[in-house]
Amino acid sequence: MKEVLKAVVNVFLKMPLGFMVTIKYFFRKPVTLDYPHKKRPMAPRYRGRHYLERYDDGTERCVCCGLCAAACPADAIYMEPEENEKGERRARIYEINLLRCIFCGFCEEACPEEAIFLGHEYEFSDYERSSFLWTKEQMLVQHPRKDNPFKRIYRRVRKAYGAPDKIS
Amino acid sequence: MFYSPVITNGSEAAASDKLHLFKYVEDSEQYKLMTFESHGGYKAWKKVLTEMQPQQVIDEVKNSGLRGRGGAGFPTGMKWGFVPKDSSKPRYLCCNADESEPGTCKDRVLMERDPHGVIEGMAIGAYAIGCHTMFIYIRGEFNHCIDRMEQAVEEAYAKGHLGKNIHGSGYDLDMIVHTGGGAYICGEETALLNSLEGERGMSRIRPPFPAIEGLYACPTIVNNVESLAAVPHIINRGAEWYRTLGTEKSAGTKLFSLSGHVKRPGNYEVELGFSLKKLLYDPAYGGGILGDKKLKGVIPGGASTPFLTPEMIDVNLDYESLTAVGSMLGSGAVIVFDEDTCIVWVIQKLIQFFKHESCGKCTPCREGTGWLKQIIDRIEAGGGQPGDIEKIEEICGNILGRTICPLGDAAVMPIQSSIRLWREEWQYHIEHGKCMVKTEFPFK
Amino acid sequence: MADDTRKKTTTKAVATVTLTIDGKSITVPKGTTVLEAALQNGIHIPTFCWHPKLKSVGACRMCYVEIEKMAKLQVSCATEAVEGMVVHTDSDNVKQGRRAIIEFILLNHPLDCPTCDKGGECDLQNLTFEHGYDDSRFDFRKSRFVDEGSTSTFDDVRIGPEIVLNRNRCILCYKCVRANKEAFGEYDLGAYERGNITQINSAPGEKVDNPFSGNLVEICPVGALTNSDWRYKIRVWLTKTTPSLCNFTSSGTNTLFYKEDHQNKIFRTTSRRNDDIDDGWLPDVTRYGYQIVNSPDRLRVPLIKKEGKQVEATWDEALDLIHKHFTEISDKMGSVCIGGLASPSLDNKSLYAFSKFFRTVLNSNNVDFRSDYRMLPPDAETVFSRLCSRPFKIADIDDSDVVFVFGSDLLREHPNEYLRMRKACNFNNARVFVVNPYATKAADIAALEAVYKVGSDEQAINGICLAAIDDNLVSGPKAKALAEKLSPLTLPETSKACGITVDDLRILARALAESRKISFMCGEIVTRSKERETITTAVSNLNLLFGLENKGQVASLARYANSGGACKLGVQPSPAPAVKDKLKEIWGGYPECEPHNTDSMLALMKKEEVAGFFVIGANPIMLHPDRQFVREGLEKLDFLVACDLFESETTEIADVVLPLCSWAEYDGEYVNLEGRSQRAERAVKPMFESRPGCEIIKLITAKYEKSLGEDEQLTSEIQQLLDLDSALPLPTEFMAVKVVVEDKQDEGFEIPLFVTDDPHHCGHLTEKSPSLTSFADDAYLEIGPDLAERLKLKEGDNVRVESPVGKVIVPARISEHIENDVVLIPRNFSSTPITSLLMRKKRIDRVTLSKVDS
Repeated sequence: MKEVLKAVVNVFLKMPLGFMVTIKYFFRKPVTLDYPHKKRPMAPRYRGRHYLERYDDGTERCVCCGLCAAACPADAIYMEPEENEKGERRARIYEINLLRCIFCGFCEEACPEEAIFLGHEYEFSDYERSSFLWTKEQMLVQHPRKDNPFKRIYRRVRKAYGAPDKIS
Repeated sequence: MFYSPVITNGSEAAASDKLHLFKYVEDSEQYKLMTFESHGGYKAWKKVLTEMQPQQVIDEVKNSGLRGRGGAGFPTGMKWGFVPKDSSKPRYLCCNADESEPGTCKDRVLMERDPHGVIEGMAIGAYAIGCHTMFIYIRGEFNHCIDRMEQAVEEAYAKGHLGKNIHGSGYDLDMIVHTGGGAYICGEETALLNSLEGERGMSRIRPPFPAIEGLYACPTIVNNVESLAAVPHIINRGAEWYRTLGTEKSAGTKLFSLSGHVKRPGNYEVELGFSLKKLLYDPAYGGGILGDKKLKGVIPGGASTPFLTPEMIDVNLDYESLTAVGSMLGSGAVIVFDEDTCIVWVIQKLIQFFKHESCGKCTPCREGTGWLKQIIDRIEAGGGQPGDIEKIEEICGNILGRTICPLGDAAVMPIQSSIRLWREEWQYHIEHGKCMVKTEFPFK
Repeated sequence: MADDTRKKTTTKAVATVTLTIDGKSITVPKGTTVLEAALQNGIHIPTFCWHPKLKSVGACRMCYVEIEKMAKLQVSCATEAVEGMVVHTDSDNVKQGRRAIIEFILLNHPLDCPTCDKGGECDLQNLTFEHGYDDSRFDFRKSRFVDEGSTSTFDDVRIGPEIVLNRNRCILCYKCVRANKEAFGEYDLGAYERGNITQINSAPGEKVDNPFSGNLVEICPVGALTNSDWRYKIRVWLTKTTPSLCNFTSSGTNTLFYKEDHQNKIFRTTSRRNDDIDDGWLPDVTRYGYQIVNSPDRLRVPLIKKEGKQVEATWDEALDLIHKHFTEISDKMGSVCIGGLASPSLDNKSLYAFSKFFRTVLNSNNVDFRSDYRMLPPDAETVFSRLCSRPFKIADIDDSDVVFVFGSDLLREHPNEYLRMRKACNFNNARVFVVNPYATKAADIAALEAVYKVGSDEQAINGICLAAIDDNLVSGPKAKALAEKLSPLTLPETSKACGITVDDLRILARALAESRKISFMCGEIVTRSKERETITTAVSNLNLLFGLENKGQVASLARYANSGGACKLGVQPSPAPAVKDKLKEIWGGYPECEPHNTDSMLALMKKEEVAGFFVIGANPIMLHPDRQFVREGLEKLDFLVACDLFESETTEIADVVLPLCSWAEYDGEYVNLEGRSQRAERAVKPMFESRPGCEIIKLITAKYEKSLGEDEQLTSEIQQLLDLDSALPLPTEFMAVKVVVEDKQDEGFEIPLFVTDDPHHCGHLTEKSPSLTSFADDAYLEIGPDLAERLKLKEGDNVRVESPVGKVIVPARISEHIENDVVLIPRNFSSTPITSLLMRKKRIDRVTLSKVDS
């Protein structure tokens, strides 16, 4: 009888007690997501795929100065400059090899024109290695810019020079 | 013919035994050779040619204690002595008539009214250094001076005072009248030589000094109009006589161009050592401050010299006394400001001038004057920022003594002295965005 | 390698001073500036406006030093070192001074480093890093030069075909303007405006297109002057450098290639200062000539002619074909019937292998390297070849007190020597005399430029000799001996014959007699002339009369990058005796057959006595002064092999065409006109399937189942030849000068024509360089203003130039400096076959000009 009672106590009192944590989670919102149908929002400073920005009037910000390539520890960036029809310096070729990229964000920090930044996208799977060589056209967007405190000095320089900076 | 209406003390000079430069300045015919000769002109030139050796001329001028009247006050005779005697190269004498220091207009009067006096002085100088071609570099805007000078040179050639075998002495001398393009910098001797050579008017680095390597890389002497104009008188009346004029170390007379808020602005010939106070207030000279206001400050020697305050004007006008009170005799342009003059406004006008006239060769002057002008413009417009005075002082310190020619020094010396003397006024201007004194000018 | 050549040779003891810089006691020659003293002793003083080859101006004020007992900071570039001076270059005061200067300079500097091509090698960047503040106190809008109507956000202005100016970046060191004026004597760039809006710009309405304009870009301390060549191509830190040489001029100017290995491409050429040769200045042809290496037009694979058409082939096929045909020809007609013509721009090894192949494998003496001479002399020991072999030192021009140029347009032929001559005149007060049939650009520095009648070269020299005799400027016996040889010529007659006035002849004679150190240079007017022997005889008399060689140097300057090497290695039909003996010794034999030079080979081709011909690197059809003659000769050949970089008139008619490597694609040694052997290193891998000349020769030899020897063996053989003193002495006795009256001219053709190089081009290859063609891309007629006015020609008018044998139509270009009735046409453009106007048997080619109405 005593055993029976003990068993009853075990089953109805102690077992739920032992499962307390489990049961508690049973009623909570799940920590996992229904990926890929649902996606988690990334931290604001998460470094995902690269974007190249444009000015408001659509011209590219990138002047192909080569500082991102120089800063890149993985040597993932290749570029060749050219002179556009107005005599300005622009990139003819701008390629990032995403297989080499380690998403450190140095390129973003090195960029004096605030042309390149790393967005939040992180899905890069593909079937061919060649498709990881991202070209300028793939990366050029018009995108709300991040306010990077490192860039303020560049902005001041541009202002002092009277250069058109369509984004205040 | 046009006769520029400048107030002078010519009548006083005519009566005086001592004042010689302005003796005939009020004679409207003096510019003609005949009149000039009837007043004893070219006597010294003939004397030099017939009786004196070049070295004697140099010694005479050296003994007279004549010092350069262009600004630096370097003894003229000593300068002539620097020309190498044994050089096979031709030697040149160049008269610096590019008078463009703000406030200075003494050479102009001499050239307009007594051009032969200048030519005679130049000729004697040329003979002393053994030069056969001399130049006079006249400021481009001085059209009238140029006409007079060219006319005078023509007359002198016709009369045989210039040209080949002058007065049978076997000495040849040619004179060329050259007009500048109107650049302040060309009043600096090396820039003048550059300009004369047809180069851009930019000062050269020294050494070599022009006396060794000047025009066309040949020994060249550059003298101010006033210094040369005094030479014939020294030759005529002797070095001893000249020494009796002025003070012991600053011999002779000096022309002062009085301008600004005085009742009688004009050119006055006075002996060196003359009292500044007297020059300003004596009815024969300045006649007091315009509207009988109080004096605020004086620039005693052209725009590039430090200010004097009313407390300091009990000073004698000679090289040593002015240096002692922290200013300079300079070119003798006395600019007077009354109590209602805003010092920031004055400085703004000055720096605007110097910025405009900076030749653009050396970095501190080229960039520094531009920066100073921007800061001072901003203060004058009421946008001064705290720290501006310190910034100005530091920029001035970075320009002073670090440029090729004295233009950089000239630009910053009045600024530095004005901040030293009227700092609270600068401060007020920056803090309140307006002048501390009421600024009403009879001239703008 | 360059370091030991850079050491200055001090000939005499000079006074020295000892000073202390930063506690280090330093002894330097008197007259040295503090800056130079410091730099020579490894003490770094930063500068912007100082340049070792220009006069100091002290404009940038960056080189401040503190000197004890001097109140203010002093600029070291303009302060002479004085005995006992104590200098501090690193005191707080100095540092503060430099910081202030950097701050001033940066006030209006745009800081557009990301788009500036100078970024990474910019003096201002480096010195700002070293000395500047980390932030700017300047809170105003920077001044900016904006061109009206420009929509570009970049304020660039193109001021010349190659040069792009950005005035915002300019820090006004005035180096470009000074170099242009002091070193190059050009005035197309200047400073305008005043104060802090001073701007450097081209002269109004002019373009900066002088033949040395590339140097302005190189010496710019910031990115104010850039050139299209390097502009927006690559960042400097991605490139590597390779030391090389100029392959176009004969001075062997030292250069540096900037290349990128992955792209296998050269991006630019800069100077590699060698004070003995180039002073750090490069003519544009040297600077932009490298572009031919990267050209997409290069020959890619061997071509062989099949049924009258050139088709692509493998190397093996082509070489087999060559072997087959050459063996056939020598079996049938004897090996004398094969000839070879090499380019004097090839390296030593290629040239030597070429000569060795012909002489030891084919057993023929028919090798030559001279493709653009008319009527070559057959003998090796002519006065002319003696004059050509005389030693010459470029650096000795500097301190000559008389520089005498005879029959040469130095600017076109020898740009480096032209600059040296200017330097001697501007810096060392040398007197320059130019005696030429037309006025050249050296006129502005020349103490006297005597223009003689075209075709009276020897009379001009005789005239000088006679004037010296007449004026008793030389010792009696000499004068008498020469007067005898020259009789019955008299001074007035000679003066009349050559068109130089007696007074001018006397001035020239006096200059030669009084000079203490002389540099006497003969140029192409002499070497290309049919009467070169007569003219050089006159020059030799002149040399003897004044004893010129005893007090300087007398030489006829070699024209191509390795002409000197070709002579020393015996790549000519009759080498100098010493060379011939040496070759005999090395090879153990020497072909005894009769030697033929280019000229006689071409004549034999017409008679079908030469049937096989091997051209390597040369283009005789374009450059030989008788196009018809060469073409006829080459077309009669049984078999023609041509190796070149590009398709040319010669490769077009060849049976086998082999792609050749340029000098940048292999290691090679070149002998410049001084006889100095220098090395150019391989910068890039050979383009396409091209091969170096030496390798091609070796491959052909291998087909004969023979060998020229291993590389080391060839190198040591070449070294033995180079070590040989093959200079022949000039004659030691006066010789009679046979005065040649010009051959009868064809009726109606009166205006003498000179075919030369364009100042921006050299030979037949440079037209493939885009930068050089931006200066000149087609032939033009250079004509003096007087003649143009008489013929009613205006700049740009098309002119029909007709000679008895041909005609071309070219636009007119009026050159102010040409005063007499001669016209010049550059020969560097294949689109206009200028040499078709020429006849090799004429001393002077004369043409008629008529305007073409469009």
